[in-house]
Amino acid sequence: MSEGLEARLRAALRPVSPSEEFSVRLQERLTAAARPRRRAVALWFGAALAASLVLAVGIAHRASKAQERVAGLAARQQVLDALRVTNQKVDLAYLTVTSESRDEP
Amino acid sequence: MTADEQLARARAGDSDALAGLVREHQRSIYSIALRMLGNREGAEDLTQEVFMQLSAKIGSIASGEHLRFWLRQVTANRAIDELRRSTRFPMVPLDEEASFCHAAEDTDPLLQRQLDRLLAQLSAPARAVLLLRYQEDLDPVDIARTLDMPINTVKSHLKRSLEMLRSRCEVPAP
Repeated sequence: MSEGLEARLRAALRPVSPSEEFSVRLQERLTAAARPRRRAVALWFGAALAASLVLAVGIAHRASKAQERVAGLAARQQVLDALRVTNQKVDLAYLTVTSESRDEP
Repeated sequence: MTADEQLARARAGDSDALAGLVREHQRSIYSIALRMLGNREGAEDLTQEVFMQLSAKIGSIASGEHLRFWLRQVTANRAIDELRRSTRFPMVPLDEEASFCHAAEDTDPLLQRQLDRLLAQLSAPARAVLLLRYQEDLDPVDIARTLDMPINTVKSHLKRSLEMLRSRCEVPAP
């Protein structure tokens, strides 16, 4: 009894097709909706590309500045080292000269 | 091309693939909408809204199986919401609508009309349960998942609806 009713329900509730007119209209609406979305995707892509370029240039500029600073510090260190060595040499020369003049009768 | 391949192409923005998916599922979705709401105009509006939503959310659909589940879930829930809040689609017998709905089918049109009238007397969730069970051939577990409903509620809707149909639908023996 129940199986008979269920079988009849299945038969009666088979899917039905919408009208052809509606199917065409639906496809047109979907196509129309997809167009602006593609444009929006292209716009977002362009904006993301521009932002990436700006970021890349910024990072490169910052890296170059950092490199210059490191080179400047190294040069400063070299000058300081040279001055220290020169200072030591001058001190040594002064000591030599003063000790020689003291030894003279 | 498999359903999953077609879905992958639709996700990548291929509008022909999306159109193919819509063509494949529109019969099932339209039928749920039509039998839930009881009129062609409402069913067409609902079907269109569901597929427009699909078009916007296609990126989040993982597989062909997920797509079928998502379409049924969105359609059934939207129809239930619509029936609950709107007087636009009153739950009245389908009558004349039934004749166009099933004209192409080979079932007895009188039985068809009788069933349509009885369907219209069910509550919105009970009608959704019955349609998913006998139109979409889902088992109670899948119906519970689709409608986000406890399995016992699904079984109870099915039992009560069948009892009601059996008592009221005096189906002539074939």
